[in-house]
Amino acid sequence: MEPPNGSNTEAIVRIQRFNPDTDAKAHVQEFHVPRVQGTTLLDALHWIKHERDGSLTFRRSCRHAICGSCAMNVNGRNILVCKTPLEDQLDRKGRVTIRPLPYLPIIKDLVVDRSTFWKEYVRVKPWLVPPQTTPAKEFRLSPEEVAAVHNAETCIMCGACYSACQVVALNKAYIGPHALLKSFLRVLDPRDTIPGERLADVGTDEGVFRCHTIFNCIDACPKSLNPTQAIETLRKLAQKRAAFEAARVERQRTIADPIPVPAQSGSEGER
Amino acid sequence: MSNPETIVHDVIVVGAGLAGTWAALVCGRQGVADVGVISKVHPLRSHSGSAQGGIAAALGNVRPVEGTGPRGPLEPVPPDAEAADNWELHMFDTIKGSDWLGDQDAIEIMVKDAIAVVYEYEHMGCVFSRLVDGRIAQRRFGGHSAPRANYAADWTGHVLLHTIHEQALRHGVKFYSEWYALGLIIEEGICRGIVAMDVLTGELHTMRAKAVIFGTGGYGRAYEITSNAHANTGDGVAIAYDAGVPLMDMEFVQFHPTGLYRHGILMSEACRGEGGYLVNSKGERFMRQYAPDKMELAPRDLVSRSEQTEINQGRGIGPDGKGIYLDLRHLGREKILARLPQVRELAIDFVGVDPIDDLVPIQPTVHYSMGGIPTDKDGQVISDATGTPVVGLFAAGECACVSVHGANRLGTNSLLEASVFGRRAGEAVARMVKDGARLEPVSGDPAESHRNGLRQMLDGDGEESYEQIAVELKSTMTENCGIFRESRSLKKALQDVRLLQARFRSARVMDKSHRFNTDLLGALETKHLLTFSEVIVAGALAREECRGAHWRTDFPNRDDQKWLRHTLALKGAEGEGPQLSYKSVFIDWKRYPPQERKY
Repeated sequence: MEPPNGSNTEAIVRIQRFNPDTDAKAHVQEFHVPRVQGTTLLDALHWIKHERDGSLTFRRSCRHAICGSCAMNVNGRNILVCKTPLEDQLDRKGRVTIRPLPYLPIIKDLVVDRSTFWKEYVRVKPWLVPPQTTPAKEFRLSPEEVAAVHNAETCIMCGACYSACQVVALNKAYIGPHALLKSFLRVLDPRDTIPGERLADVGTDEGVFRCHTIFNCIDACPKSLNPTQAIETLRKLAQKRAAFEAARVERQRTIADPIPVPAQSGSEGER
Repeated sequence: MSNPETIVHDVIVVGAGLAGTWAALVCGRQGVADVGVISKVHPLRSHSGSAQGGIAAALGNVRPVEGTGPRGPLEPVPPDAEAADNWELHMFDTIKGSDWLGDQDAIEIMVKDAIAVVYEYEHMGCVFSRLVDGRIAQRRFGGHSAPRANYAADWTGHVLLHTIHEQALRHGVKFYSEWYALGLIIEEGICRGIVAMDVLTGELHTMRAKAVIFGTGGYGRAYEITSNAHANTGDGVAIAYDAGVPLMDMEFVQFHPTGLYRHGILMSEACRGEGGYLVNSKGERFMRQYAPDKMELAPRDLVSRSEQTEINQGRGIGPDGKGIYLDLRHLGREKILARLPQVRELAIDFVGVDPIDDLVPIQPTVHYSMGGIPTDKDGQVISDATGTPVVGLFAAGECACVSVHGANRLGTNSLLEASVFGRRAGEAVARMVKDGARLEPVSGDPAESHRNGLRQMLDGDGEESYEQIAVELKSTMTENCGIFRESRSLKKALQDVRLLQARFRSARVMDKSHRFNTDLLGALETKHLLTFSEVIVAGALAREECRGAHWRTDFPNRDDQKWLRHTLALKGAEGEGPQLSYKSVFIDWKRYPPQERKY
């Protein structure tokens, strides 16, 4: 049956509902939501929950795209609903469809079970393993070394990439773009002492060599990050693991020493 | 709801932001093997991750270029040059920022530990921004006399939170993600555990431990416009109060000067630390009149009050005149992209303005809770003005009140406080467990009363939604207990809160299911808002002076004779308000006696 049209004053928000305790299968429910300037999709979900149906269930917290709670599938794309205006997602008939992140078990309505996602995150040992002896002050990292991992350090672990990945969909043993991006962060960090072990762990058929470079992760990432590029880098490094390990040992010999500063530096000595 | 198993740990931590996770990590790596952390959101969703601008520590890595004055451009301090900053300066700035209500012994610990804590974050993998020679980069922040905000672009909290969570996993800490604490088990003055709900199943568990640590965060959600996450509903504060623990200095609620207009979403103080201006509808940099020396980098209470004064006198911006402009254009594209990338995106996404080209509409936004659960310097919760401990109960971070922030917190001191005192609480608890603390017995089934209470909420079929009650609470708190307060407005707020408390008893929960019932959680959170809001208002009504963030228009001066003291609020008998008493402030009268506070 064709869903009804929205109007200038009302949007039709179509939401996939499912409570495994009571429902045989998922169904789509329609809500008429006022079209108010500045309303985000999250505002619309809150409006429905408070004004129409308190049992509508979704995750959210920070509401400004940093906590990673509210990734959902909207009109077929994985996005964060907190930073997305309702108006931008309405079709010509004033409708929008919100579903839970695909390929993950549904806990209730828009809440998915991210267990495998977190399992893979832990699997890559997301923590730094620093040198045994630490300096009195900081390890010295150059602005360039920090810039190289900029991409990875800002990942908010929302799961949008993981649930958009065709490889994840077909193969639950695949580590996934989020965890490989985290592994990239650790491998590239000059302070880490086990880059060889990490490259061995991810340089496998369940890791970087399973990626088909379909680029769905890049399209899905709400922070404009590039997991595919990180995976490509890890592939290359995995193939010259010994040399990379040796270079790391060499780098760590001077890691507590000042980085030599070229004569011409920025006005505030920083980038 | 059935009677599920009792869970036992050596240590239970409630809340997985910086404070709670630090405590858990320290316990873990000091050999307390059995640590459980419960969090109502996944640990990496905690609100610590929203912090943007930096964490304070007097590392002395940068200084103003010689001859350019205190607001001049910054340069790395040469290796052989004298230190440009030290913990004593940080200490004085924090005391002055607190309007002398901060306890100076606790502040001294914080500013000294700051340096070690920041280096420890660095050693654990935190990706700070860097100077060209590899040292941690620093920027200016409001109320600090030296550039000592150590930062990672403008997502400092995010990288600190991820770093500490990763290390806690490395040390075997067990996390209960999406578990919600309902109550403390305190018998004969000894804390024996908590009652908590597994949100997924809706089942209630008794969780027993030798020590419980609260790191449950702040309470900004009691107001309409706030930078706080939806999760910041002061649960731990309300639970402690209901269990008979007093709350301290709750009337001190910080308004941050730069929340996005109508959203309240934070535009980091780093915007002004990097040189941004505040401008009224006439295009004037109005801070000249309020803080001629520090200008936009005066402390938050003063800047927010100045903005509100401009707004009240008709020089605000926006359709309702309740906004102010933040001007970053002169910083230039390169600096904004390098130092403030997140806030730029937030401005584009939420108000449709690119700060590179245009003025950003902002307004004061409720941001931080200076008050909370009173503790000593090791996070040990105390139950009265003499410091009697609630054995087995600890608290740290925004839910706690040590007190290092007094009447007003300085920017970048919150990530610091959560880290320093979370770490110290962890050390104290690890010592306690290793010294042979016992698992105290629990009588009866502590979950039973909570189970009955929840059943009543689920079975009730009241007319009114709890959300309507929350909306009205936020409205009266904003209107009557905001930046400016007076006796009449506070009395109105108190009356409103009590009426709303009464109405809440017949509020309706629409979702009747047990599985992942966020409607039930919303109702419980609203109950918590109502509980502690009464304490905020009662404390504000009693405190007849202006100090820091507490500004009484009917008592326009600071009154050290009467009010240089902390408020303690103990839950009264049914139908009565909180019982207020007072606790002296720790002041080093020789070194840091109270002074007039000017910027």
